[in-house]
Amino acid sequence: MVETLFQDIFRVVGLDPDGKKFDKVTRIEAKSEQFDMYMQLDVNTDIYPLHEGDKFMMVLASTLNLDGTPDTGYFTPGGRKSLADKFEYVMNGKLYRISEEGSGANLKADIYVSFGGLLMMLKGDPSIAAKFELDQRLFILMRKV
Amino acid sequence: MSKTSEEVVQFTKQPYIEDVGPRRIKSITFSTFSEADIFKAAEVQVYKDKYYDEKRKPVEGGLLDPRMGPTSKNGFCATCDGSFRDCPGHYGCLTLSVPVYNVGYLGTIVDILKCICKSCASILLPEKEYADYLKKMRKDIDPLKKNELFKRIVKKCTAMASSKKAVKCLKCGYINGTVKRAGLGVEHDRSKVTDSSLEESRSAISHLKDSTGSKSPSIINPDRVLSLFKKIQDKVCDLLYLSDRPEKFLITSIAVPPVPIRPSVFVDGGQMSNENDISERLKLIIQTNATLHQNLTTASYAPKALELWPLLQVEVARYINSDVRGVPLSMQESKPLSGFVQRLKGKQGRFRGNLSGKRVEYTGRTVISPDPNLKITEVAIPILMAQILTYPERVSSHNIEKLRQCVRNGCYKYPGANFIRMADGTLMVLKFPSRVRLADELKFGQIVERHLEDGDIILFNRQPSLHRMSIMCHRARIMPWRTLRFNESVCNPYNADFDGDEMNMHVPQTEEARTEALMLMGVQNNLCTPKNGEILVASTQDFLTSSFLITRKDTFYDRASFSLMCCYMGDAMDHIDLPTPAVIKPIELWTGKQLFSVLLRPHANMRVYLTLTVKEKSYTSGETMCQSDGFVYFRNSELVSGQLGKATLGNGNKDGMYSILLRDYKAHAASVCMNRLAKLSARWIGNHGFSIGIDDVQPGDLLNKDKEGKITDGNVQCDELINKYNNGKIELLAGCDAAQTLETLIAKVLNDIRGEAAKLCMKSLHWRNSPLIMSQCGSKGSPINISQMVACVGQQSVSGGRAPNGFLDRSLPHFHKNSKIPAAKGFVGNSFYSGLTATEFFFHTMGGREGLVDTAVKTADTGYISRRLMKALEDLAVHYDKTVRNASGCIVQFTYGDDGMDPSQMEEKGGLPLNFDRLLLKVKAACPPEEHIGMPSSEIVKVVDETLTKHVMASEGDCSKAFNKSLSEFLKACAERSNNTRVALKLEKELRSEDFDNLENVAKNISGITHQQLQVFMETCISRYHQKVVEGGTAIGAIGAHSIGEPGTQMTLKTFHFAGVASMNVTQGVPRIKEIINAAKNISTPIITAKLEFSDSLVSARLVKGRIEKTVLGQVAKSIKIVMASRSASVTVTLDMDVIQASELCINAHTVKESILSTPKIKLKEQNIHVLDARKLEVIPTSDRSKLHFELHRLKDRLPTVVVRGINSIKRAVIKECDGKKGTYELAVEGTGLDAVMGTEGVDGPKTTSNHIMEVQKTLGIEAARKCIILEIQKTMKDMSIDVRHMMLLADLMTYKGEVLGITRHGIQKMKDSVLMLASFEKTSDHLFNASVNGRVDKIEGVSECIIMGIPMQIGTGMLKVMQRVPPVELQRGADPVIS
Repeated sequence: MVETLFQDIFRVVGLDPDGKKFDKVTRIEAKSEQFDMYMQLDVNTDIYPLHEGDKFMMVLASTLNLDGTPDTGYFTPGGRKSLADKFEYVMNGKLYRISEEGSGANLKADIYVSFGGLLMMLKGDPSIAAKFELDQRLFILMRKV
Repeated sequence: MSKTSEEVVQFTKQPYIEDVGPRRIKSITFSTFSEADIFKAAEVQVYKDKYYDEKRKPVEGGLLDPRMGPTSKNGFCATCDGSFRDCPGHYGCLTLSVPVYNVGYLGTIVDILKCICKSCASILLPEKEYADYLKKMRKDIDPLKKNELFKRIVKKCTAMASSKKAVKCLKCGYINGTVKRAGLGVEHDRSKVTDSSLEESRSAISHLKDSTGSKSPSIINPDRVLSLFKKIQDKVCDLLYLSDRPEKFLITSIAVPPVPIRPSVFVDGGQMSNENDISERLKLIIQTNATLHQNLTTASYAPKALELWPLLQVEVARYINSDVRGVPLSMQESKPLSGFVQRLKGKQGRFRGNLSGKRVEYTGRTVISPDPNLKITEVAIPILMAQILTYPERVSSHNIEKLRQCVRNGCYKYPGANFIRMADGTLMVLKFPSRVRLADELKFGQIVERHLEDGDIILFNRQPSLHRMSIMCHRARIMPWRTLRFNESVCNPYNADFDGDEMNMHVPQTEEARTEALMLMGVQNNLCTPKNGEILVASTQDFLTSSFLITRKDTFYDRASFSLMCCYMGDAMDHIDLPTPAVIKPIELWTGKQLFSVLLRPHANMRVYLTLTVKEKSYTSGETMCQSDGFVYFRNSELVSGQLGKATLGNGNKDGMYSILLRDYKAHAASVCMNRLAKLSARWIGNHGFSIGIDDVQPGDLLNKDKEGKITDGNVQCDELINKYNNGKIELLAGCDAAQTLETLIAKVLNDIRGEAAKLCMKSLHWRNSPLIMSQCGSKGSPINISQMVACVGQQSVSGGRAPNGFLDRSLPHFHKNSKIPAAKGFVGNSFYSGLTATEFFFHTMGGREGLVDTAVKTADTGYISRRLMKALEDLAVHYDKTVRNASGCIVQFTYGDDGMDPSQMEEKGGLPLNFDRLLLKVKAACPPEEHIGMPSSEIVKVVDETLTKHVMASEGDCSKAFNKSLSEFLKACAERSNNTRVALKLEKELRSEDFDNLENVAKNISGITHQQLQVFMETCISRYHQKVVEGGTAIGAIGAHSIGEPGTQMTLKTFHFAGVASMNVTQGVPRIKEIINAAKNISTPIITAKLEFSDSLVSARLVKGRIEKTVLGQVAKSIKIVMASRSASVTVTLDMDVIQASELCINAHTVKESILSTPKIKLKEQNIHVLDARKLEVIPTSDRSKLHFELHRLKDRLPTVVVRGINSIKRAVIKECDGKKGTYELAVEGTGLDAVMGTEGVDGPKTTSNHIMEVQKTLGIEAARKCIILEIQKTMKDMSIDVRHMMLLADLMTYKGEVLGITRHGIQKMKDSVLMLASFEKTSDHLFNASVNGRVDKIEGVSECIIMGIPMQIGTGMLKVMQRVPPVELQRGADPVIS
């Protein structure tokens, strides 16, 4: 089993915080149960509908290859077995920014990932951010629970 | 000479002709032509007024005498036997029986006559002054100063005359009167002369009836003037700045110009001939002269015989200048024949029409149309044009087969050729079948004039050519059909659209010309405008729309369509690496943003790593997480977020995608991306479809309701305001009366309605609405345009306000008189969709007409401004010592723009060389930290200082101090930031590498800089700085003139605006630019901005205002009364202390007394005024009893207008809040008198400025004037974003002579000393005549002169010459051969 960078179960707490802007894409707000993370994520709800209150398992991994070989960044299709097989919704993207927010005990680190323009903002304890690198290729894998 | 042998004159020996070889004209000297010169040059005497005899042969001795050159195409010259093509023509001469003035010199003749005695021709100056002036005149070399001195001498001579109305000659004692020009003659007025001889004659005729009748001024006839001039000594000529004898200014014989310059044309099949105007003029002169001559020889009574003299004078004058002033009414003609001056002057004249701009060959012109499939550097040329336009290609081993085929094809088949130029220079036409043989015999070294082919260099141009990007170099693509086509991205620099525009193309004919054109004028090398460094060639219109739609967050493509779109952008010819889809499960989907990542970097081997951030129009907040996806973030050529629009892809932004590509990866990368986007978007939008229909402008019910609500609200507000106004309860705005206040408030309300309506539209329209999309992405239209179509057209403005009253007290008879409701004053509540009512329509046409008139007027105005700017700045160039100099080498700036940077390469918005923020972002993205660790802040500062000091020593020289400072400050701020992060993460201040824990990694990722990154960043900054230094030879003057002239065309003509709260109108727009550039003495709105010593106190501001504003006695006096007492009569003035105190004026009786005493022409003395107490004073006039009463009344009338406080030249002063600082005040003072305002107590003098340049010069000096010019141009053109360096250059040019010179003909005359340049500008004939009088020399250094003479100019690539020492050829002599 390949090592994942982050894994948690989130619950959708809100949809489109600034109002609905796009037909096929919804920005979901979610809170995690284990690490007390807050997440905003653009999801193509056209193909993977999500509703308020839905719970889902979210995994961030740097490769889908089960043997852990790094991803090339370019598309290599093929019917191989991969990490994605166990999940319903998988996106590929790039980590483009890590920033800090707040201070003292409330200090949070924000991790920003863009999945081809669908953005994710993961806010949580700075120690979680330590595993991530800028410009890292990431896969987000989701499965409703 | 290709003539048959029998026609050529046969010489027994070849005559010796000196081989002059190619020679360069070094200078031109202007001088006058004497009668002897004319006789010498003439081949024939012309005396007959006939052109042809009965057999239609030119008459001998006539105006078309064949000895003056061949008359017709197949005639021969009787003098040199040359044909029509070879003979340049020969002069004839025509002797006049009496001398006449040359009108061009008439002014000079009068000036000379003013200076000399009209009897003995000696100078009218005392010996000493004469010697002094002569010394000065001979010492000076500057023609400008000499001219000034000459004017002074003339003044001196006439001043002596006019004071006494007569001046006595020191030599002969003759008394001279005043001399002035009278029509075409000179008048010598001695009527005021009191002379003993005159007295005598008066007494002699005193018994006659008209004895008192004044003596009429006598006309001096040209003959007399001639004899006087002949007597003038050479020394006097020197004194009067005449380079030659003055008698040459009179015409005794005329040089009849050669026939070729005044051709005679047969019309009606050779029945009639059309003669040139000059010939006609000469004919008239000959006729008049002949009659005059006959009269002189036959008539006995001399005055009668000379009756025709004035007529001859007029004819000769008209021959030179047909619209000469001073022709008597009886002699004026209806149909003017043009004279020589007319040939030279004006736009179509010789100077501007033929010498400065010439007709050229190898050009084409047709309608243009768009073609997104072409590269931006290409232009499609119709085959039809390509067959006519040719390029001479020399045959070599590389191209012989191609050219052979061309020759074989001939003129009529496309890849063909029109001529072959043989080695001996003969030209072979390829129209005939013989070309096949020529093709076979084609030899190396022959030149084939082949048709244009793909890749040929073309110059492409659209008029008006306002800046250098109006003519650029493209590569040809030969295509079928009939239009010139190019990529729409290049529309911008040409300002072209495809509504029927035509464009010109030129084909450079030599390899040198092609290379130079490609390097200097190539589209790729001109993507940026030197105006401010913004990108000019960029995606437009449809390209923006489709990019906007493709990059929408919810556009997803499956594998097939994504691959198809990838193929669109490169004609499926490129290697493309498909990225991993953004959504992998449940189905593979790519987003539109990924397509742009592919567009920028199609495959992994492409080394383009673009990093930038742009805020699009729709950006709200939250950076990348912006709700409407308006934050564009490219990171390492991947589009992270943001919907692309005009800010990213369009022109006029320095942080856009193409700008960054251009700066970081050079022009090729930018142009390739533009090509890809053009192809992609044209094809994509063709499939997707994008159109506009009636449903796009239909408002929904909700929108309609909201809009109605807004309009009713506005109407109610306006009604309230009108009510308040009618009841006089309206609160006045500062500096406005009630009516103005009402207008201002209503205008604000009504303008807001349209803005609100626009907002409603943008909110309520569906996102697929085409106008909405276009406005959002910036491709076309604004929210207001949409609102006008859908919701509400809004308030129409006419000359800056609401519609004026065209009828009595109302705008239209549909409304009540004095109605001020919105509808009566041009408010249009309907939309274009709902339709306008009759009155609304009428108001709309009023606004529309104003716009049309405005554009029509301003094109002429700005065109003239551009022309003048160009003439003034054309010869300024940066030299290799970094100075800016004009053609004669005078320094205008020591360093161009104070830092010597090239404005077209500035990366920062404000004109600074680099945008550090972006560059650091890029460096951080491009050089990942990997296992390196972030530097502690102290070390960053250390490394920065070290690197900077190291570079001072480097060979390419130091960066400017300001740049070094800004760089180190920026990096210090970065260090600070990284420090803050560390503090927040509770890390140690200074990191230790051994305990490298997790949080350290986080800190590094947030804001850390590694050593490598810092190194790369600083190296990049410094090396780029050195690349951005302006090159030696750059014609920075011309660029500056373009950069100021071109934006001028986009400015509206008359925009008045409100300076702050006060209703102080300031002239803006084109009229203001005109004022500044003209350095006008009187400007329409002079305003002094006075800073206050105590700027935070409103009370003290009022006090100072009182001191500045003019207060007259009448305003502060309670009464001004005449008091008649038994013993004395006086006027008593009682001051109204309440008013004075209320306005805090500090006036009392004593100050009033001082004021009265200092008033001019009031004729009162100290003892006349008695101060009774602090508020009362009495004025007792001293005059005798008989006049006392009148005197009292005069004083009573006069006293109220005495200025007791303030500055006379000030109209008013308004207190206003300083910009940006609340609670601080300054004064805006309308009027002139800067020195007085600065000296006023309470005003902070050193910080006080005026917008009146000439006044600033007068008060503060030339440097202040320079600063003022820069600031004022900046203020007027602030929305045009022009680099300061251009304005500095203009200001420096206007001030470098030590006084402010306007860019007008007077100013330019003082800046330049080239006669040809001035003649090609304005007043052509005046400059030429004066130059010949003064014997001026033109050294042909400047741009205009070089163009006129056809010499490469000393600017740009012409500045340097390659000098090469050619080693002497040594013949390799071997040993003598044994056997020869």
